[in-house]
Amino acid sequence: MAEKERAGSGLEVNVEDLGDISLISLVGEVDVYTAPMLKDAINSLVERGRYHIVVDLGKVIFLDSTGLGVLVGGLKKVKSNQGELGIICNQERILRVFRITGLTKVFPVYRSREELPTKEREKQDAG
Amino acid sequence: MPDSPERCYELEIPAKAQYVSLARLLASSIARSMSFPEEDVDDLKVAVSEMCTNAIVHSGNGTAEKPPILVRYCAGRDYLRVQVSDRGPGFDIGCVLNRERTDLLEKGRGIPLIQCLVDEFQCDSQPGSGTVVTVVKYLRPRESQP
Repeated sequence: MAEKERAGSGLEVNVEDLGDISLISLVGEVDVYTAPMLKDAINSLVERGRYHIVVDLGKVIFLDSTGLGVLVGGLKKVKSNQGELGIICNQERILRVFRITGLTKVFPVYRSREELPTKEREKQDAG
Repeated sequence: MPDSPERCYELEIPAKAQYVSLARLLASSIARSMSFPEEDVDDLKVAVSEMCTNAIVHSGNGTAEKPPILVRYCAGRDYLRVQVSDRGPGFDIGCVLNRERTDLLEKGRGIPLIQCLVDEFQCDSQPGSGTVVTVVKYLRPRESQP
């Protein structure tokens, strides 16, 4: 399953299910204008009972505290359902914001999709 | 604050979320023209984004029509100063800075983040008046080549 959404601003949101994990891939900028799109994507997954979420920030060129707030809100929602929310990111410019705010200790951080838990990666490769 | 001479630019934007990227873009353009390293350009973009977001979210005193936000960029010989002014209700900066934090707080990271990303930070705000937030980022001396 894949849903794609594009706004006039600078963020593209793509959601796909990889076995037990739902992957939200973002392309563009996450700020006060575009963060509601990410929030909607997370909320939709939680409403569908998808509590294991990974947000791929590999193609995000900008993220500020509004984006962090949405991710933290999502993390709280999935954790209350025994789930988890992680991020994929290998860009120092984005990781720096997580590091300064201490959130690298809160979110599971994967450097690439290949680092996702093995079982899910096998499903992804098979797909 | 640093001495003149300065080249200053002003940008007035509606207090709407879609205009924050414009203020960021101008900050990055000016910083790059001054030969700031890309890492520092990124820091300035985040700082300006946080400042404008705060101004937009908190300005207008709850009214539907919010007054515009003024962003002023002043480029000195070795620094860039950015000032964001709103005509919102103002707030007690002490309450924000002294707020107890937890990892899973959804809001309240903006000002601490700005403080980590710039060299100087100043916030002039009082309940009942507007808010002026000023940051300064200095050009670091280039490391000499071996």
